[in-house]
Amino acid sequence: MVIIDNLVKNYGGFRLNVSMEIPNGTVTGIIGKNGAGKTTIIKAILGLIRPDEGHVTTNGKETSGLSSADKAGIGVALSDSGFNRFFDLKDVICILRKMYPTFDEDFFRKNCAAQGLAIDKKLKDYSTGMHAKLRVLVALSHKSKLLIMDEPTAGLDVEARNEILDMLRQYLSDNEDCSILLTSHISSDIESLCDDIYLIHEGKIVLHEDTDTVLSDYAILKVNEDDYEKLDKSYILSTKKENFGYVCFTNEKQFYVDNYPDIVIENGKIDDLILMMTGGK
Amino acid sequence: MLGLLVKDLRIALTRKFALLIILVIALIMGTSMEGPFIIGYVTMIALMLAVGTIIYDEMDNGYDFMMTMPLTRKTYVREKYLFCLLSALVAWLVGAILTCAAYIIRQNASALLEDIPISLVLIPVLFILPAVMIPLQLKLGAERSRIATYIIFGFIAGLIFMGKKLLDESDLPAKIEPALNSFPPVAVVVAITAFGLLVAFISYLCSVRIMMKKEF
Repeated sequence: MVIIDNLVKNYGGFRLNVSMEIPNGTVTGIIGKNGAGKTTIIKAILGLIRPDEGHVTTNGKETSGLSSADKAGIGVALSDSGFNRFFDLKDVICILRKMYPTFDEDFFRKNCAAQGLAIDKKLKDYSTGMHAKLRVLVALSHKSKLLIMDEPTAGLDVEARNEILDMLRQYLSDNEDCSILLTSHISSDIESLCDDIYLIHEGKIVLHEDTDTVLSDYAILKVNEDDYEKLDKSYILSTKKENFGYVCFTNEKQFYVDNYPDIVIENGKIDDLILMMTGGK
Repeated sequence: MLGLLVKDLRIALTRKFALLIILVIALIMGTSMEGPFIIGYVTMIALMLAVGTIIYDEMDNGYDFMMTMPLTRKTYVREKYLFCLLSALVAWLVGAILTCAAYIIRQNASALLEDIPISLVLIPVLFILPAVMIPLQLKLGAERSRIATYIIFGFIAGLIFMGKKLLDESDLPAKIEPALNSFPPVAVVVAITAFGLLVAFISYLCSVRIMMKKEF
């Protein structure tokens, strides 16, 4: 559905250079530290910025040439941008009705009410959680086959986050052929939703893996200095020095479970992936 | 396009109180001043409010989300000019109604037939305001475009002042006045309208170019 082919974008000293693919019917996550280039990728897919090199295509069309009808098929929730804060929900509904031919007003009204979004309240009086829910509901309200979500749960409490994730899960179960691209800092969001993960660091993709593979095959090894010397490092992706010795990150958990039964082996988590792949040696 | 027009109309309606005050001021001016000044005043205020919707679009990174909606950058620019034109037409109509009321109150209804049609020329003349401000706001953003607008209109005012001073000191006005008076009023209106359209078209092309290059 979305293909990014050698996208290059330069911002002063920062250079983004990535290739990736979001196939039909998959949920893809992009993770990485602040400033890694996640939002730049999202903006390139949405045609908000022009690539310096490379191509970004959605359903075979360059994103810079997407028509209004093409854009109507993409649901977008951006982390720091939405409807004007002086509008209320009635204004939003009126605009969406005219903008999107497939706008499902019943769905939108029903879900806004269920999420406690007051219809007469100005958006400037909404809480952070209400803004986030509204952004996601707007993206879900017009039966899009592609959803682009930039940090949809950033800055929210657990309850609000879960409610947003539940909305996305419900949408996925109702629209099985829908694709989602999601960026997040919160590993549990990615673990519970995404089929595959791209880890981006300093403008480059340092890892692309299925979420299930990360959770089953990746592991943290905790070893003292002596054990570290004896350790077969063929499958060690990254190592970090700690007070007690070394923390090693591997994508072959079973190899170390079988051959080094005495060392501490912990299941890999997305947080470990980010920390070890972008901070270790 | 329709969605954008609805959006801008909704933005305008968020300033209901300001619109009401403007109408009250217009009414007071209309009943106390001679001539169709009120039409120009209301039309100019409407154009300023219409151009001001760009500031609301830009607010809180609003462009980022808006440009993901089903519209192209060209459509956005077109809509801005169309919204300004529609605002000017509606405001002109409101101004004309208020002027009619004021003339009738002052029992000067016979002047209506002369003053109201000729005041239509105010629309292309005043459209120079959005023609200057729209590309500036798209290029520079709300804050910097405001300063640029002051500089440009200050420069225009300076030119007019200097020109007037030079003309006052020369005998040129006396020489060209008969020639100017010989033009039929319709030709003058057509010429001014054509000039306004040309300025608006050049401004539109500049705005499209700015918007196409813009990154969000």
